[in-house]
Amino acid sequence: MSIRTGHKTVTATPGLQSQRTSLLQQIFTKRADYLYVLPALIVMLIVIAYPIYYTIELSFYKTPGNLQMKDKIFVGFENYVTILTSESFRDVTINTVIWTVASTLIAFFLGVCAALALHREFTGRGILRALLLIPYVISAVAASYVWKWLYHSDYGVIGALSVQFGFTEEPINFIDNIHTVLPSLIVVNIWREFSFAMIMIMAGLQTVPDQLLRAAQVDGANTWQRFWHITVPHLSGVSMVTLLLLMVANFNSFIIPWVMTGGGPAGASDIWITQIYQIAFGRQRWGLASAYAVILFIVLMTLGYFYVKALTRGDEARAG
Amino acid sequence: MNDSSGRVTGRLFSGLSMLKSATAMAMAAGLVLSPLPVLAQSVDLSQWSPEYIRSIAGTLEVDTAAHCADVVPLDYAGRVSVWWTGPNDASPEIERRINDEFWAAWAATYPNIVTDAQNIAYNDLLDKLRTSLLGNAGPAVVRLQILGGVEFGAKGYLQELVPEDVGYESANFWPGALKSVNYGGASYGIPTNNETMAFIWNAKIFEDAGLDGENPPATWDDVVAYSAQIHERLGIAGYGLVAKQNAGNTPFRFMPTLWAFGGSALDETSDAPTYDTVGLNSPGSIAALQAAYDMYVRDGSVPVSALTNTQAENQAPFIAGQLAMMIAHPSEYAKMVDLAAAATGADQEVANEVVANMRYGLIPEGPARRAVVFGGSNIHIVQDEYVDGGLDEMAAKALICFWTSPEWSTKLAWTGSNPGNLEGFRTEWMAERLDTIKFLDVTTSMLPNGIPFPVIPEAPEIMNIIVPDMLQNALTGAMTVEEAANDAAAKVEALLGGL
Repeated sequence: MSIRTGHKTVTATPGLQSQRTSLLQQIFTKRADYLYVLPALIVMLIVIAYPIYYTIELSFYKTPGNLQMKDKIFVGFENYVTILTSESFRDVTINTVIWTVASTLIAFFLGVCAALALHREFTGRGILRALLLIPYVISAVAASYVWKWLYHSDYGVIGALSVQFGFTEEPINFIDNIHTVLPSLIVVNIWREFSFAMIMIMAGLQTVPDQLLRAAQVDGANTWQRFWHITVPHLSGVSMVTLLLLMVANFNSFIIPWVMTGGGPAGASDIWITQIYQIAFGRQRWGLASAYAVILFIVLMTLGYFYVKALTRGDEARAG
Repeated sequence: MNDSSGRVTGRLFSGLSMLKSATAMAMAAGLVLSPLPVLAQSVDLSQWSPEYIRSIAGTLEVDTAAHCADVVPLDYAGRVSVWWTGPNDASPEIERRINDEFWAAWAATYPNIVTDAQNIAYNDLLDKLRTSLLGNAGPAVVRLQILGGVEFGAKGYLQELVPEDVGYESANFWPGALKSVNYGGASYGIPTNNETMAFIWNAKIFEDAGLDGENPPATWDDVVAYSAQIHERLGIAGYGLVAKQNAGNTPFRFMPTLWAFGGSALDETSDAPTYDTVGLNSPGSIAALQAAYDMYVRDGSVPVSALTNTQAENQAPFIAGQLAMMIAHPSEYAKMVDLAAAATGADQEVANEVVANMRYGLIPEGPARRAVVFGGSNIHIVQDEYVDGGLDEMAAKALICFWTSPEWSTKLAWTGSNPGNLEGFRTEWMAERLDTIKFLDVTTSMLPNGIPFPVIPEAPEIMNIIVPDMLQNALTGAMTVEEAANDAAAKVEALLGGL
């Protein structure tokens, strides 16, 4: 079969034709399934695909503060160059990496520890499990305000207690110091997120075959050996998914840093997402903010790819 | 008014009388230099003084409904949406009550106009408006802080609007306020209220620290010294510095110091500003930044939390007797009375003592001048194409006529501001305010010292982001004082250069 495309004529191979027919046949055969997902697909196109397209388009324009959006000026890749060569981008990226990696790894580690502890039978396990879930179910905005007051540099509870018990002479300066602010916010983020890791790992622990653990015990394996050689391999899938989900959530974190410090003081707790918000809504550089958002989007899509791979690994193995 | 505060006010006003001639000259100069037409005024600004304000209060009777009926018939049927920053939980109770009364009176006067009113937080309103306008989903009417309107006017979002459009005379509004809604020769709004802040201190803390409790620091150098002495002797915070990023409270409290030392953001302190020269790294600006640095870093005499504080966070330590000085509105006194009433037990005792020892005075002078931000709000009409559901111009004008009337511009400014419509100073409600609101005279006395922020679209970014950034860079040690000033100046230059 010959298809005319502009100046060239290409010939479709019989194999390609049969593949296409087969694909159409598959779609026709499963038309009901496609119809079921169609509404969701349409909504996604409207609320996700179009904004993504518009953000990418906007990233090639300059939007001066005294001009309306319709009068934006095309500048090609200038916004990307401005961002990638700016000193603030370097600082904010370092903050973002520290924030994301530290929050993810520590929240995951604490979540695993809590899940393992709660996996064992003991009195009050249900109550403890419910208590540990509180940080995750509480509103992030409310939690941020509570922590802001706990950390308050002059009248915070933590600072007052540290003085009262003689640990420090002055209340500790958590969030008004450029050196301590980011670690302080990371602690809040970990406090909020470790319960999520705990839930995921607890669910994963349910899948570890009990008979395998008992068999290993009969064979003389000690607690550590049973954990390392049986439990850990069974948790690898869920761990990967949990880590990726935490990482994506942390790259996208906005509420805690914005409510508690607004990215300050002096930008010391500014991460990509707060910086994007500030550039867009504070400074109205929509083009620059869009370019920033596109960079973040690429990073998140890369993580998303690995997430999907991790999620479908079992399916592929079964299909294979 | 108790005896001690009476003495303070008396001394203050004897000091003020010396300033009166200078004030009158300044006002006259302001009027002469104003590019706007100067019409016959019912309030003589050249005579502005506490005594003059008191003498005219209660001399005018108004009928708001009758006046607005001449602009839009009272039986007009239509719809209007309005966004503004109204009273919130931190506001005195009386402000919330008057706000409710206003909307009830509006509904009774124009019963056939369906109104959608949204009270949006101060730090959120600009962002929300910008976003809504991008999607052609803005309100028909919006009241913005004095700094906010010009950006939207410059972008063509606002309809041209002058007081005459709703039956008032431009001459009956502060020239500085009218200037704040004027961009490119066109006017885009009407001032609803205008105010200047004052200096507030706790006389008992002053005395406990060995200072004269009845006299505020005369200069900003004195503020630095008093703050250090209070902290050193009593271990509490002296001055309530506010340096939060992206918050309007910060420039409103820092710019008076900067101007007093002879600095400026652009050239807004000059008689005929052109806004094309940057002054943030001038010697005066650096001196002001150094004063803040001395208080925060060298002396540690201000709250450590200043970097994350807005003025609202200064209220709790002040009422608890843990903070000695701050810059705030006249409404601060009403707020402190509310807080004291809500306190219990020993806390209430402390709070009542603080209220009894609360004093208001003029904001201190610097080597160059005494200065304060000429603040307030303006009301605007959004262009039809950007209004959600389209603009009903008649309904919008009816609401603006009602809002900017002598009656409601006075009532709605009850404890926090002053009427934008100068006729409001002549009403019975102004007389009532003067009789019932302690220290109101002091804050109104600061009005002639008011300097408006630069009237350019970039002003919100300069004032709300670049100036607080400059403070934070210096106070955290991220930069030296000079580096922070130069960095801020470079950012403003880049901004004006069209970055």
